[in-house]
Amino acid sequence: MNTMTSRERVMSSLNHQPVDRLPVISVCQHATYDQMEQLNSSWPEAFHDASLMAKLASGAHSILGFDAVRVPFCQTHEAEAFGAVLKYGGKTGLPSVNIHPYHIGDNVDFPNDFLSRGRIPALLEAIRILKRDYGDKVIVMGGVIGPFSIASLLFEVTDFLKATFKKPNDLIPYIELGERAGTMLAKAMIEAGADVICVEDMMASMDMISPKIYRNLAWEYEKKQVEALNVPVIIHICGKVDPIIVDIAKTGCGAISVESNVNVPEALDKFKLEGIKTPIAGGVDPVKTLFTGQPEDVKGEAREAISKGYSIISPGCAVPPATITANLIAMVDTVNE
Amino acid sequence: MTLASYANILTRYDLIGASEVKEIKATSKDTVIQEIMQCVIEGDTDTIGGLVEKALLKMDPLKVIDEGLIKGMGEVSRLWADGTYYLPQVIIASDAMLEGIDLCEAKLGKKMEKKGVVVTHTAEGDIHDLGQKIVNALFRANGYEVIDLGKDVPVDDVVAAVKKYKPLMVTGTALMTTTMTAFEKISNQLSHAGIDIPFVCGGGAVSNEYVTAYKFGVYGKDAQQAPKMISDVANGFSWQELREKYN
Repeated sequence: MNTMTSRERVMSSLNHQPVDRLPVISVCQHATYDQMEQLNSSWPEAFHDASLMAKLASGAHSILGFDAVRVPFCQTHEAEAFGAVLKYGGKTGLPSVNIHPYHIGDNVDFPNDFLSRGRIPALLEAIRILKRDYGDKVIVMGGVIGPFSIASLLFEVTDFLKATFKKPNDLIPYIELGERAGTMLAKAMIEAGADVICVEDMMASMDMISPKIYRNLAWEYEKKQVEALNVPVIIHICGKVDPIIVDIAKTGCGAISVESNVNVPEALDKFKLEGIKTPIAGGVDPVKTLFTGQPEDVKGEAREAISKGYSIISPGCAVPPATITANLIAMVDTVNE
Repeated sequence: MTLASYANILTRYDLIGASEVKEIKATSKDTVIQEIMQCVIEGDTDTIGGLVEKALLKMDPLKVIDEGLIKGMGEVSRLWADGTYYLPQVIIASDAMLEGIDLCEAKLGKKMEKKGVVVTHTAEGDIHDLGQKIVNALFRANGYEVIDLGKDVPVDDVVAAVKKYKPLMVTGTALMTTTMTAFEKISNQLSHAGIDIPFVCGGGAVSNEYVTAYKFGVYGKDAQQAPKMISDVANGFSWQELREKYN
């Protein structure tokens, strides 16, 4: 029996308060082809047009029954504003950075008109629309890219990764720019109505860098960003973040979003020793379960996530757009059992 | 050069404490070879060229490659699998190894004999090719010739390359779930062409369930499996046997 609204539920969870049932959200993108068809709003138009973007994002509430809606769908707004050239994926694909605009050592200026560049105005307008139309019912989440990951998008990825190990100090000015950009965008999102900010710092993954590099080049800037924002921040980092999960919590973030390969009971034990109460979000594998599985598989995995101590049920990373609606709804059905 | 002196490498890169450091096992009695191996393990691209040139004054280039460069990279792979090393170190070590191999091949006057050919690509529509680059480096480190088709490769080009180069196996990586359907198309076209070859697919977008649903598909869980798989294929494994073993 649900006795809380979606808004109350998510906020209670982020504030370590009791909830009537676990909230279900998608920390990363949640648009699917099914929802595009039902809502009559599709890619690539929904990447550019604020009302189409908001319409497609609203599916998380109106179709899936999630407790939050979020924009954007891709991870390229900040990099595009810094001059990266994107490749679009037509009706079915996400834009990604095709030409990285700089070489390590180049002088990169912070664009004064950052918030007016590329698709950022449309993104902010989409948040205003979501807040206006759904803000009394569900949490509106704005997604930005983490400081380390914005910096990584400015350069060829292998050059960047090599420098993290060989010449880490050379990267600091760019990571500072990344922090400034993400924080500026997040503040504008909050002003537009965002209740929660999701920071995707996908390159700060242990699949890419070591715990030491994370601590030296990513952590401090994530922390600075969290401290600069006056709403709860959910940090998402892909892969096995086990060695750094206590560090992530110590940024002061409102929740940590992880992939299913993270040992959550062990992480929570570590938290307990340190007196950390940060909720962990995730529990459902987006590819193995949501995309290739059936509703029963989703339910099984979501039940397991509940028993492992996840506080918020979410896909562990971006939802594959070909995911069937029934699988996403199965997440909500499970928490209502 | 003794085992103990490797402690300095680990201290210098502050790896101690990052995870349990296991003993570095690769050593050579020959000081020059030992230094070259150490250079690869440290990823010291500034020093490797000079050292290899010095070694080539009196040593067989093939010995430098096999006992120094490739053995050093093997050690890097092991440290990576252990969780002692992380990706940046592997990329840098591979750069050092390849620089050394280039110098040795120049001295030889020809390319070293390869164990076989492999065609690699990143899925059509996908421009995230980091995973493929790692796989390429590991194949090269293990003595295979890599036909690197690059990123966002049309299905037809992959099939054409397989016809042209007749590789031991072909690989595909995809980060975005929006692009992985290209793999099924490749599988179908290879089948139509009557080609029978392991098609190893990996990357964040694909899963065991997805890859093993189409003919030839073998799921590669991580890059470290790639050299083991191709070695099995070189030893006569069919795609079915490869799938049976790894999936």
